This record gives sequence, C-alpha cells and structure tokens, in this order.
Amino acid sequence: MINRIIALLIRYQNIALGSIPRLTSIFYWPTVQILFWGFFTNYFYQINEFNIWSSLNVILSAVVLWDVLFRSQLGLSMSFFEELWSRNLPNLFITPIKDYEIIIGLLMISLLRTILGLTPAIFFANYFFNFHLFELGLYLIFFFFNLTLIGWSIGLFVSALVLRYGQSFEELAWAIIFIVLPFSCVYYPLSSLPEVMQTFSSIFPTTMIFEEMRSLIFNSHMNHINLIKIFFINIFLLLMSSLFFLYMLRVVRNKGIMINQGE
Amino acid sequence: MKTSIKIENLSKSFNGKKILKEINLELPKYGIFGILGKNGAGKTTLLATLMGLITPTSGEIKIFDKSLKKNKFEILNQINFQSPYIELPKKMSVYQNLIFYARLYNVKDREEVIKDLCSELLVSDLLNLNYGKLSSGQKTRVNLCKALLNRPKLLLLDEPTASLDIQTSDFIRKYLVKFQKNYKSAILITSHNLEEIKYMCDYLIILEDGKVKDFDTITNLLKKGKKSKIEELLLND
Repeated sequence: MINRIIALLIRYQNIALGSIPRLTSIFYWPTVQILFWGFFTNYFYQINEFNIWSSLNVILSAVVLWDVLFRSQLGLSMSFFEELWSRNLPNLFITPIKDYEIIIGLLMISLLRTILGLTPAIFFANYFFNFHLFELGLYLIFFFFNLTLIGWSIGLFVSALVLRYGQSFEELAWAIIFIVLPFSCVYYPLSSLPEVMQTFSSIFPTTMIFEEMRSLIFNSHMNHINLIKIFFINIFLLLMSSLFFLYMLRVVRNKGIMINQGE
Repeated sequence: MKTSIKIENLSKSFNGKKILKEINLELPKYGIFGILGKNGAGKTTLLATLMGLITPTSGEIKIFDKSLKKNKFEILNQINFQSPYIELPKKMSVYQNLIFYARLYNVKDREEVIKDLCSELLVSDLLNLNYGKLSSGQKTRVNLCKALLNRPKLLLLDEPTASLDIQTSDFIRKYLVKFQKNYKSAILITSHNLEEIKYMCDYLIILEDGKVKDFDTITNLLKKGKKSKIEELLLND
C-alpha cells in the first residue's frame, strides 16, 4: 500500500512540478493575492483612521487561510483531472491500486501543493508588511488543518462529479469556492451580513473558522467548544465526500463510463 | 491452473440494453485468442469487464481459476492491458510513466526490467522525452512496454495496431507472438485487422450481438463453417 501511494505522490509531483511554468502557477496566485491585499490595506490606512496592525493582520491572515482552503481543493481536483485529461484513467484502475489508495494519494499531493504554494506568499507578507502568520501560534495548525479538510472535501466532491458526469463539470472546480466565499465571512464578521443570511452563513464551518480567527487576533480569545465543533464537522465532511467519491467510482464501473473516457 | 479465463453466464446491460448476453467461455491456460465481431458486438465491453473496469450485471468471471470479484487485486497484479485509445500522462517523460507503473505493479528490479523492455521494443532513445511529444507508433510501443512491465500472465489488447504503419504493426505482432511463446502467457486481442488475427491467433472467439457465436481454432472454425477465409466467418449467411 505504502509503495503505491508513494508512486502516486512521485507521479503527481512530476506532473505538477515538472516544468518552470507549472511550478510557477502553484505559487503565483497566492503571492499576488497577498501583495494585492497588503498594499490595499496599507492604502486604506492612509485615508482612514483605524488600528492598522490589527486590520492588516486580520486581512492578511484571512487571505492566507482562505488560500489554504482554495489551494487544497484545487490541488486535489487538478491532480485528479490530470488523469482524465491524459486519458489515463483505465490504465490506473487496472493496476492493483485500491480506490482508497488513490484518495490518500490525492490528499497527500494536495497538501504538498498547498504548502509549496503558500510558502512564498507568507515570505512576501513578512518582508513587505511585517506580517507574522506564525503569531497565531498553535491555533495556526488548527486553522490550517481544518481548512485543508474542507478543501479536500470540496475537491473530492467536485472530482467525483467530473468522474461521473464528464468534463463539463470541471468549471465547478474553479467556481465552487467562490460560491462558498460570500457566506464564509472571510474578510468581514458574521454580524456584518443581513440577518437572514447570518443564520444561513453560521452553519458553514468556514464561517466558524474565520470568526474564531478574528476573535483570536482582536481579543486574544477563542471559544474551545466551537473549535471541537469545527473539527468534528470537518471530519464528517471529509468522510462523506470520500464515500461519495467511492460511490461514484462504483456508478462509473456499473455504467461503463471509465473505458469510454479514453475515447 | 486449468484455464486462463472462465466466464459463466456473463451479462451486462446499459440503461436496459443488453450488451453482453449470457456469455459462457473457457479459454486454455496459454495461447493467443482473437475476438472478432462487428462494431457494437460487445468486444471492448467484454475486455473491460475482464479487467474490472465494468461491473457485470450478472454472471461470474474466473481468471486463473479465481473469482475476479473476490480476488480482484491479486488478479490485477498478473494481468495488463494496452489500447491505442488509452494514453499515458503527456506531461511526464516516458521513463517517469514506466517507473510509475512498475512501482504500482511492485516490479522487482524495475530499472532493469524497463531497460530491457525498452531495448526490445526500440524505445530506449525515447525514455527522456515527454510522452505527449511521441508519434502514434512510438506511443503504441511505449504503451506496450507499460503493458508488459509486470510480465502479465494474461494480456488484453484492444486493437493494438490500429492506425499504425505496416512496419510498426508487423514489428508489434512479431514481438507479441514471441512474448507469448517465451512467457507462456494468454493474450486476448480484439482487432478489425483480419490479417493480424490470422497471423497471431491460435483461437478465435466470434462475438455477435453480445453473444459468443463460436469459439475454436481458426482451422476448425473454417472447416465447420465451410469457409475459406476468416472474413467469411463474420458475414451473415
């Protein structure tokens, strides 16, 4: 099992990092995002009067953490789509690799791509804006891990749909995260939403995470009951999306879709 | 091991339409078996079902006397497949692709096996090229390398020489015949090229409308049907 997962990791790493343009595309967007929001917040400070450091920290932390979710989702989906684009799926599924090993391989490569993609962004944020993400302390690991779980869940869900319904669903890989974004209260507090939307948004685990992040930066306090809730919701989401992916593989085998993807 | 493949009452339906109908078949342990049939006869569906890519609606498949359903991963380790319609990742080099599959099949001395196979199939000079940059003839030979990495006891080939030039096709046919003799394997091949079938195959399976119309050696089939050419076996009386 370990050998096959390592083989998958080496292969996805070869595909993702095999050339300079592909490697650049992994860290290009997070870096651009951090620079854009950093300069924008600086400008906002010049024309307004508010606590620059707290605001900058909140916005840049939100940018980086949101990107954790986005990169982990995209890293997983794109790695899986590579199999479809290269018309290679049947070759993969006639090897002794097990379905769950493919899922583990996809999760691992997504994690690797997320870390690689965000490292330069964090470096630039530190250099230009004196922003220290690691000031979030151990909670940073909690935020990172939980947002990665959500990203994986969405990535598996989208990949399963593309596997079953074809490449017309690929757009969803880019779009789905932006459907979730307004309700996740990434850059603004839940209280700033209209009351009707507040109830709806509060069920999103992303909203809970970003609310706790703001509470930590502004008040140096977090609700530990909420953290436990967030963790179990996310584990549940990942479990459900993994089962959905496995179920779609069964459907695809029943409908004979896999062999036709090569044609 | 008595048989390479044993199929009992195999049926497969898609959206209520039966593609494979109560197929019963028993193939000897070794040999090259050709599957002939018109378009839509169920050839590719049968191959895909034998590899576990399609789940049968009913019936049982045994490969090397073991149930495919119950021993899928053990069996998949001993079989392989090649088709010109299924490719390898284009962004990876030939070597990266081959070493990946060698790892998945847990091939011992994989570097050595790849080196030998590439040399035999004349692709050694392509190892560092990206798969996407190869011609169709080169891709077919590389795909064949992939299909032989685990020295399969059962090799499934879907139109292995489709759209290839005469020289490459001839080279591949000769290579496969030699491989089957050397490794005493079973090769199941679908092809529309009757010359290819005639040259390579010991046995023929005639599929018609999802059913096995006949299965025997080419000589016996011709004798039974009082035909002089293989193509006549496919034509309706």
